Amino acid sequence: MSIRKKLVLMQVFTTVLVLIIMMIVFIASDIKEYKLRKVDSMLGIAQVLGTNSISMLQFQDQAAAIEMLAQLHNVSPEIIAAEITNNHGQVFARYPAAGEPEFSLAAGMKENSLFRNSRLLIKYPIISSKEKIGDIHLIVQLTELQKLMKSTYKVALFLLLLSVGFAFLVAFFIQSYVSRRLLNLVRTMKKAVSTGEYTVTIADEGKDEIGTLIQVYSKLMEQIKENEKKKDEFIGIASHELKTPLTTVKGYIEMLKLMETEHPKIDFVESAFKSVLKLEDLIKDLLDVSKIESGQLQLAMENFDISRLVDATISSVQMISATHNIVRKGQMENEIIYGDIKKIEQVLTNLLSNAIKYSPGEQKVIVEVEKDEKELTIKVRDFGIGIPVEEHSFIFERFYRTKGSSVHISGFGLGLYICRDIIRRHNGKIWIKSMEKGTTFIFSLPISKKTQIV
Amino acid sequence: MLTKKILSLVFLFCTAAPILHAQDGEKESNLKAAFIYSFTKYIDWGNYNNNDAFVIGVLGDNTPIISPLREIAERNTINYKRIEIKIIQGLPEEKDCNIVFISKECRFPLSDVLAYAGRGVLTISEENGYASMGTDFNFVIINDKLKFEANLNALASSGLKAGSQLLKLAIIVSGS
Repeated sequence: MSIRKKLVLMQVFTTVLVLIIMMIVFIASDIKEYKLRKVDSMLGIAQVLGTNSISMLQFQDQAAAIEMLAQLHNVSPEIIAAEITNNHGQVFARYPAAGEPEFSLAAGMKENSLFRNSRLLIKYPIISSKEKIGDIHLIVQLTELQKLMKSTYKVALFLLLLSVGFAFLVAFFIQSYVSRRLLNLVRTMKKAVSTGEYTVTIADEGKDEIGTLIQVYSKLMEQIKENEKKKDEFIGIASHELKTPLTTVKGYIEMLKLMETEHPKIDFVESAFKSVLKLEDLIKDLLDVSKIESGQLQLAMENFDISRLVDATISSVQMISATHNIVRKGQMENEIIYGDIKKIEQVLTNLLSNAIKYSPGEQKVIVEVEKDEKELTIKVRDFGIGIPVEEHSFIFERFYRTKGSSVHISGFGLGLYICRDIIRRHNGKIWIKSMEKGTTFIFSLPISKKTQIV
Repeated sequence: MLTKKILSLVFLFCTAAPILHAQDGEKESNLKAAFIYSFTKYIDWGNYNNNDAFVIGVLGDNTPIISPLREIAERNTINYKRIEIKIIQGLPEEKDCNIVFISKECRFPLSDVLAYAGRGVLTISEENGYASMGTDFNFVIINDKLKFEANLNALASSGLKAGSQLLKLAIIVSGS
């Protein structure tokens, strides 16, 4: 359940609980008061009746007493039965003659009122000259109370439902004050993580814990940005510093290559030269990345024939690859592209060498060029170990190398990052498709000459 | 209190045996005595109440009402005065009484008795028809129940006022 729903439910639940408690209290006290008032008024009636029946008791006029009690019922219909008893509890007069079951309780009553089975039983002494000569009992039917309670419950239920609806409404508006800021933060964080951009800041003036959360998050983001910056600076400085002595070493080894002809010295020199070249490539990649990050990478744009470039690149890579066979599929199309020829060559070389690297043994690599109205597509297919689907979104990241491969892969993992940057700069797209065996790398370049290059 | 005792005996008798036989004369007299005592609560003697004692005079020497009346007199008061029961030998003694009870055993003729009963004297009889002849109250048996007649003219001539609570239970009779 989202935090919004939780907040709303919390508020509504509290409201309902409080309302129910209050209603119970009020209704209970209402009923209690009603009962007290009823008892009071009935006792008053009993007292008056008692006084009026003194002479009837003294002169034993049962008929007169019964008539008086009958009158009572006509005047106050809620009094469904009444009786007068003497001091021994024997009935002197009773109306109606059949009596009611509750009368049997009357003798045992300690108080002068008793509530039982939605009826009220009243007992009052008949006193003449400070002497008790008998009792009068009344049985009152509490229909009024029942009616009152029914209507009260109806009103209470209606109010409860109304309040619940109202509470939902109010809660819905109030909860946004808390949840809005939280949801905003969550959204920003998700975006930062997915795009890798840590620059989005959040405006928040709150002084509560959510405000603190947002502040801490912003500080963390700043720290990350700082780190990134430092990393980039380091790469830039390191690759630059590395390049200088490397150039010296390369130069001297080249001279040695020319000077030495004897084995094994020449072998030693060849080996050293190969390693120096490799070192040069690695440092060049680092330098490129640094330039990309600092926005210094410049493209030298011109019109060139992509088909010829593909063929040339295939040849040069094939030359240094004894184990693999690079094949070009499809038609040989002449197509003019506007772009940086050296950078596109770099992309092709990288893809081809990756294809070779990741399909050890004697394997084929297929290159295909396709064209439609809007763009030109180049595919490089290998039949090697392949790349798991989970890693598809990560392989174009910096320093990313595939995991779990039994083959030792050399390199920093920068090649694809640089390729992506180059292709993007050309307003193209680069992506990957996993096959049952191996992988296909695909990139597209727009054909229109009028395209602006970043 | 004794009245309570008597009254409760009476009620017991009434609920258990609603039929009042003539042989139960003793019980009837007890009841009449109790009634007479109760009458006094509803009658205003006004200025005719100057003696230290409240005197109930009885006409008829061995009438059974004397005994219960005496019992009541021992334990109770009327208007905060002690009660005196007097057996009247000669009619002139009537003027000293607050109440004169004319029993069945009375030797004197009614007209003589009434002649001596001046103002402030309540006359009570127990013979059918006496109320219409001029007594204030008269006990009668109707449907085996003890009831009493009241003569409003007689009461007026006696100068006594009777409360409505009492009169509404009485059988109102007219006559001299």
